[in-house]
Amino acid sequence: MIILKDIKKSFNKSQVLRGINLKINRGEVVTILGPSGSGKTTLLRCLNFLERPEAGIVQIGNIQVNAKNATKKDMLSVRKQSAMVFQHYNLFAHKTVVENVMEGLVVAKKVKKKDARMISEKVLEKVGLSDKLHFYPSQLSGGQQQRVGIARALALNPEVILFDEPTSALDPELVGEVLSVIKEIAQEGITMVVVTHEMSFAKEVSDRVLFMDGGVIVEEGTPWEIFHAPKEERTRRFLQRISGESFFAPLKEQVN
Amino acid sequence: MGKVFDPLLIIEFLPTLLHYLGVTLEILAASIFLGLIIGVAAAIPRLFKIPFLNQLVILYVSFIRGTPILIQLFLVFYGLPAILMIFDIDISKLEAIYFVIITYAISNGASFSEIFRGAIRAVDKGQTEAAYSVGMTSTQNFFRIVLPQALRIAFPNMANSVIGSLKDTSLAFSIGVMDMVGRGDTLISATAHALEVYISLSIIYYAVVLLFEKIFNKLEKHFNRYQSADISVAA
Amino acid sequence: MTIDLPFIWIAFKEIIKSLPTTLILTIVPLLVGFLIGIIVALVRIYKTRFVYQAANGYVSFFRGTPIIMHIMVIYYGIPLLVDQVSLKFNLNIQSSKIPIILFVLTALSLAAGAYLSEIIRSGIISVSTGQLEAAYSVGMTKLQAMFRIVLPQALAQSVPNFTNTFVGFLHTSSIAFLVSEKELTGAANIVASTNLKFLEAFITAGIIYWGLTIIVEGISFLLEKRVTSYSRGGVS
Repeated sequence: MIILKDIKKSFNKSQVLRGINLKINRGEVVTILGPSGSGKTTLLRCLNFLERPEAGIVQIGNIQVNAKNATKKDMLSVRKQSAMVFQHYNLFAHKTVVENVMEGLVVAKKVKKKDARMISEKVLEKVGLSDKLHFYPSQLSGGQQQRVGIARALALNPEVILFDEPTSALDPELVGEVLSVIKEIAQEGITMVVVTHEMSFAKEVSDRVLFMDGGVIVEEGTPWEIFHAPKEERTRRFLQRISGESFFAPLKEQVN
Repeated sequence: MGKVFDPLLIIEFLPTLLHYLGVTLEILAASIFLGLIIGVAAAIPRLFKIPFLNQLVILYVSFIRGTPILIQLFLVFYGLPAILMIFDIDISKLEAIYFVIITYAISNGASFSEIFRGAIRAVDKGQTEAAYSVGMTSTQNFFRIVLPQALRIAFPNMANSVIGSLKDTSLAFSIGVMDMVGRGDTLISATAHALEVYISLSIIYYAVVLLFEKIFNKLEKHFNRYQSADISVAA
Repeated sequence: MTIDLPFIWIAFKEIIKSLPTTLILTIVPLLVGFLIGIIVALVRIYKTRFVYQAANGYVSFFRGTPIIMHIMVIYYGIPLLVDQVSLKFNLNIQSSKIPIILFVLTALSLAAGAYLSEIIRSGIISVSTGQLEAAYSVGMTKLQAMFRIVLPQALAQSVPNFTNTFVGFLHTSSIAFLVSEKELTGAANIVASTNLKFLEAFITAGIIYWGLTIIVEGISFLLEKRVTSYSRGGVS
């Protein structure tokens, strides 16, 4: 269970988040859509205090923190409730695949190395990388690296997994393998908050879709509500633009 | 006899020592100037892979970078007169300061040649390709496109080299040059207050280095005025 | 010009006896300087209150002044300090009994600390922030993230710079000759003055330093290859 109350954040005098209120239930898959600059990535990063809000309350599970007077210990304990999958994977470059997945377990959750290894190997099997355990990130493709990133988050068994545009940096032909892994996890009942441009994901797998623009949540609802019956003008305009682009994509392929 | 350590002396010594800062800076300027000429001359065989000269320069640079400056000072001090004797030139009465300038010029020349070589190679090949594609000759390309950009790339390393050379000049006194440190030595003989003299000298060196760094920073900003600013990460 | 070539071999055998001293004067300051360097680099990166400015001043001063000055100030200053303290607290320490090499090592260590802290600091900065964020996102504390994720990569990438510093301090050890330490250059000077063969003696010393430099650079080349092998990619 995640609760955000009145979250505000500015960068250099421009307000990026203007008072966000949000509640996410256990097992929900929430997708956040919006144009660039809308604050969706900042919002996600506030959930694990990679960005520190100026005001507001962040609660994940049983841990609640008031952003204004949050101590380092507070932020750390909230952070341990979640795990993040990054746009640029951010795998630990100097560690092998299995070491990458084990690292958080051993260091942050104080799991014994043997147990951590067992958990890691299981999770890596789940994402289809059992044969790459001792490879280094530099030896893997983007899609493989991202799957390791997902495994790393899964292994920690957090209250929620945060996805920051997980497929945006991937070559088109690699997007599919990563999306199917994410969809599988979503179907297993893990709480997820996903910032993405992949509309298919938002439509097929989310329980709820949020549309953000200019630092506020403009509209939220089920995928059906948002995509077929958007109430707000801004939402409609955004969806038109997106679908317009996807309208041209198949045409472009024909021309080429 | 006075106090064992008198902080006031540090200040008192400053003018006396500053009087000889000029000598130190002269040595620096002369050795940098000559070093630039040597550096360019040495970079050319390396860049154009001229046989034999190329290997000679590689050896020269390797030796200079492989030996302490103090050893180089002694080698020039004892070796140069010996070599010139073969041609019946007698420089045994030459003042020490010239040996020092020659040594530092040779040393700087090696560093500069490596810096130039690296900078020229660092200029994006695409620039040269673009130059050829608009019809420039290789000479025009070199002087109008590559060289200006190479100078910009080389600048920080050159600045560091100059500051390093300034610090190296502090060793010139070991073969009897009357520069700032040399004057400091005579002050020590006269007053037996070595600590104060060396603290005073350190202050002067530090001040000059800070001044150089400020000037070089300004120059670097000027050279880089056409570079793009860093792209900041969006929300 | 007549160079007494056979003498170079005689000189070599005599001068090389002082190699251990040179190596001590090189390696000890670098080891101590490395510890100082990590602490100072972290202080400067985290901008720890009160000490941050001192750290900046330390690095700026020691990199902005010639090492001969450091040696001389410590050489003349510490004995004075020791004598004053000894007098005040009635300890019976005589500064004249302290071996000179300790002063030299202290000065060189302080200088090494400043230079190495700059290398470590720029190495840390060059590790992409994504690594740090990933470390935080799996629940590591600042210290854990720094020592387990950032520092290892920073040090691996800094091997060439460390090598340059090593070679630099190998050469700097020759300055100890000016305070009568018998390292390679000092030994060369003795051989030179005793036999009145200055050129030959210093050519020999030069060759020894040159050889050492080449060996160090060779080792570093292999070390760098091994230590950064994780980033070389290849198979997929």
